[in-house]
Amino acid sequence: MAFLDNSGDIILDAVLTDLGRKRMAQGNFKITKFALGDDEIDYTLYNKDHPSGSAYYDIEILQSPCFEAFTTDNANINYGLLSFTRTDLLYLPSLEANELVADSPLFKTSSVYYIAANNETGTALTTAFGDTKYWALSNSTSGRKIVIESGLDTSEITADSTNRSSYMLSTNLLDSKYSIYFDNRFISSVVTPTAASTFTNSSAGEDQVSFTMSSATATSTTFLEDYSAATAVGIDNTVYFYSNALVDRSTISVMAGPGGSATAVNATIDSGLTATKAASTNVKYTNYGTVGANLFGDGNTYDYIDTTLYIQGQSTSAMLQLPVRLIRRAS
Amino acid sequence: MPVQNFETFNTTTDKTTTTTLLHEVVPLTGTIASGTYGGDAVSLGSEPNIKNYSHGMFQTVYDYPYLSSSANHIFDITMGYDESSVMSASAYTQNSKKINMYNQFSQVLLGYTGSNNTTEIFESDLSFADNNRQMKEVFFLNFSRLITKDQIKKGTFSITLGTGSWANPFHATSGSVILSDVSASSTAGTNNKGNSGQYGVLYSSNGADPVLGAVGHGLVFYQAGIVVLTASLFTASYSFNSGSTATVSGAAGLILSQSMISSSISGNCDALRHRIGNISYNNTTEINSTIYFCRVPSSKFNYSSNPTYTSGSKVRVKTIASDTPVSYITTIGLYNSSNELLAVAKLSEPIKKDPTNEVTLRVRLDY
Repeated sequence: MAFLDNSGDIILDAVLTDLGRKRMAQGNFKITKFALGDDEIDYTLYNKDHPSGSAYYDIEILQSPCFEAFTTDNANINYGLLSFTRTDLLYLPSLEANELVADSPLFKTSSVYYIAANNETGTALTTAFGDTKYWALSNSTSGRKIVIESGLDTSEITADSTNRSSYMLSTNLLDSKYSIYFDNRFISSVVTPTAASTFTNSSAGEDQVSFTMSSATATSTTFLEDYSAATAVGIDNTVYFYSNALVDRSTISVMAGPGGSATAVNATIDSGLTATKAASTNVKYTNYGTVGANLFGDGNTYDYIDTTLYIQGQSTSAMLQLPVRLIRRAS
Repeated sequence: MPVQNFETFNTTTDKTTTTTLLHEVVPLTGTIASGTYGGDAVSLGSEPNIKNYSHGMFQTVYDYPYLSSSANHIFDITMGYDESSVMSASAYTQNSKKINMYNQFSQVLLGYTGSNNTTEIFESDLSFADNNRQMKEVFFLNFSRLITKDQIKKGTFSITLGTGSWANPFHATSGSVILSDVSASSTAGTNNKGNSGQYGVLYSSNGADPVLGAVGHGLVFYQAGIVVLTASLFTASYSFNSGSTATVSGAAGLILSQSMISSSISGNCDALRHRIGNISYNNTTEINSTIYFCRVPSSKFNYSSNPTYTSGSKVRVKTIASDTPVSYITTIGLYNSSNELLAVAKLSEPIKKDPTNEVTLRVRLDY
């Protein structure tokens, strides 16, 4: 897409999206609401130390060129503007993956999370990696899972109960639910925590994180082609700082400041992709991934598909992208 | 990823519809009709931008050799006469096809008369009730939708025709006439007949025919994009068409009546194209717009989920909590009730949004 001419008056370039044209053809084109986005803006250009004063703090941002509108549904507003009633919010929560807790978190390796299609593949991966922590078994409710924390990742605020209440609860920045988006061509569903799960520590600082996992219900989406959505519960993240703790909270939580909530996710790979090495390779591996790759030099070959899981807090819109490799031992 | 913060439209106050008419000048030079790409080596009727059909009912004029994918269809040209014309006789060349063409245009543009289901006869005036100024032998120019768009703008059509001899149709003193619909406008000078919309009369600009109130020589059907020219324009031409026969003046060629009865439709079309000078009109495109007023309240959309908005969870645009939050709008997404993104509008430059201001963005969707 070209840039819009920003040399004169402000102009507005409006187009129907592909989906808009489809709805118009179907006779059910009805606009009822709007949202705003700022995808082009790089807020790191906001210079609070500008020598010419506050009028110039955002001079570079205001000069940012804007693209013409895209007609694809998902390429226009990836990160929308947010409406919070309070104007005194100085901190907004973020999402981060946690590999610290004791209850079997999945570790990222080579920049991806490995989801094994079956136990045969898992066994091979354990040998290849020399550890079980680098792979999760598809559809497993008792094994490893990707653990996600929300909270304020700042050391300026002590992670105690009072600050969690002030900065997360009273400001309505607690994500009690998360939306999980996944490519339904390869992943049929996801496994998420139940409300019985806990994410806390004792006053002595001991890890009391425990996840009880179950399959979530998936629904199709229209804003991202081939993606489905599921809702995951957000467990209260009450891993606090205790001055007399025997265990430092930084060994449990990745958030330097107060936590908000936590969740976890494992993927259920499409049944057509989970066959053992005795079966032939599914065509999806051929079309969308890599087949017969000698990934680890362990004498085995693997078929795999790389995809992305998106986790989004339903209250704060904070989002985390998780690169996932769906892998199957091929020989 | 899906946006989660929306502002709902008030359908009473935030949405309105308008209609706008856009006009473009369409200048067609005479060389397109009379053979731009033929050169001296190609005879009239064999030009590569003129397409003839095996059925022989009409010709198509392109702006480029029609075998090229770059060619655009400009207009079709054909002729015909009513069966009551003195030029109609079964022995004449393509007699039935010429009658069929006349009737086809007549029934579509004018409809039928009375109870006996006969088609109307074209007249070069605004009243069909008086049966005056009937045009029983006519040429038709059908302009393509590509250039006419929704309709020809009233009062803008003009065509220059050569009425001189075959050898010199645009003779300086006796050979050129400009027909135009100068008396037509959006409020007057047109009429309706049949179901094909409004028409206006083409008057001559020559001194012998005062423009307003004078007799006409043809009709222009604005919505249909069709021009009807009476063949009588060329009655005075000593040699309307080419030919070896000596005319009454002694020049080689066919006078109008000879051409109408002995030449094929395409032969007569060739003769007319030879006499077409410039054609000019304004087309019209009707644009229906829905305007959405996106009213952004002062208390909303002051924060962003943009990943660069925070650093270590701290909002970059603030130093202390009491600083006003700031965001910058570059995109407006319009959604339905199912949160489906149906339309997108982009600003050419970011607009600053903070709790001290309200913004109304006017998004217009054209159909």
